[in-house]
Amino acid sequence: MSQPIISSSASGPRPGENTWIWLIKIVTGPLLVIVLILHFIVNHYLGSMSSGLMTYEDVVKYFQNPIIPAIEILFLITVVTHSLIGLRGILLDMNPSRTTLKIVTWLLALLGVSSVVYGIWLALTIASKGS
Amino acid sequence: MNTTRNQPSARKFWSWFIPLRRDIGSWAFALNRITALGLTLYLFLHLGVLGLLAQGPGAYDDFLVLTENPFIKLGEWAVVAAAILHGLNGIRIVLTSFGVGVTRQKQLFYGFMLIAVFVILIFTARMY
Repeated sequence: MSQPIISSSASGPRPGENTWIWLIKIVTGPLLVIVLILHFIVNHYLGSMSSGLMTYEDVVKYFQNPIIPAIEILFLITVVTHSLIGLRGILLDMNPSRTTLKIVTWLLALLGVSSVVYGIWLALTIASKGS
Repeated sequence: MNTTRNQPSARKFWSWFIPLRRDIGSWAFALNRITALGLTLYLFLHLGVLGLLAQGPGAYDDFLVLTENPFIKLGEWAVVAAAILHGLNGIRIVLTSFGVGVTRQKQLFYGFMLIAVFVILIFTARMY
């Protein structure tokens, strides 16, 4: 294992990981735990299907409250940022060359921005379905 | 002290997938990484599936019928379980990153995993 996680020292950025980027991952983590549990409750307890899942009608109705698309978009930005920074951190274990790391970073950034743009479009599209 | 011990390498990258015969720290590390990879993959699949909402009720509700399939349901359960395990294991990492419980990491890990099992059981009862 490259870095024991349970040791006598505190956890920190991986070799080659920028401290600010690592800090974003660390700060978004606990925020996601709270939002994700709320997300599970909404999707597994409040839907009209017997399993608790939300049908199309449920989702459109849910998105009519303007705070919901805003929360979902913030959730999306947070989860995409956290996951892609985390994925980059895992890839750092492969000890990539500076050029490879630069390409990977740009590709992950592109994937992140595309996902967020797509998610915003989708949230606004769903919200507009009820009007 | 061996200064190269924590240096990353491709060989070490693959070694963390199988923490057999290693200490609990290796299991915590592997659990965090494997759930992270699974959840990242799921995140983008999930975004793709949610795109069906833009196509109208027919496309989305037809897909929802698939979620009644036991294998899909098991997959859904695995996602919920992975998220809870990753989240609570992650809180331990956050705490130790800020110097909290650094010398009590094993106890923190066992404690958070106990909470994780409890929360997973609640969701399991709801899903089945």
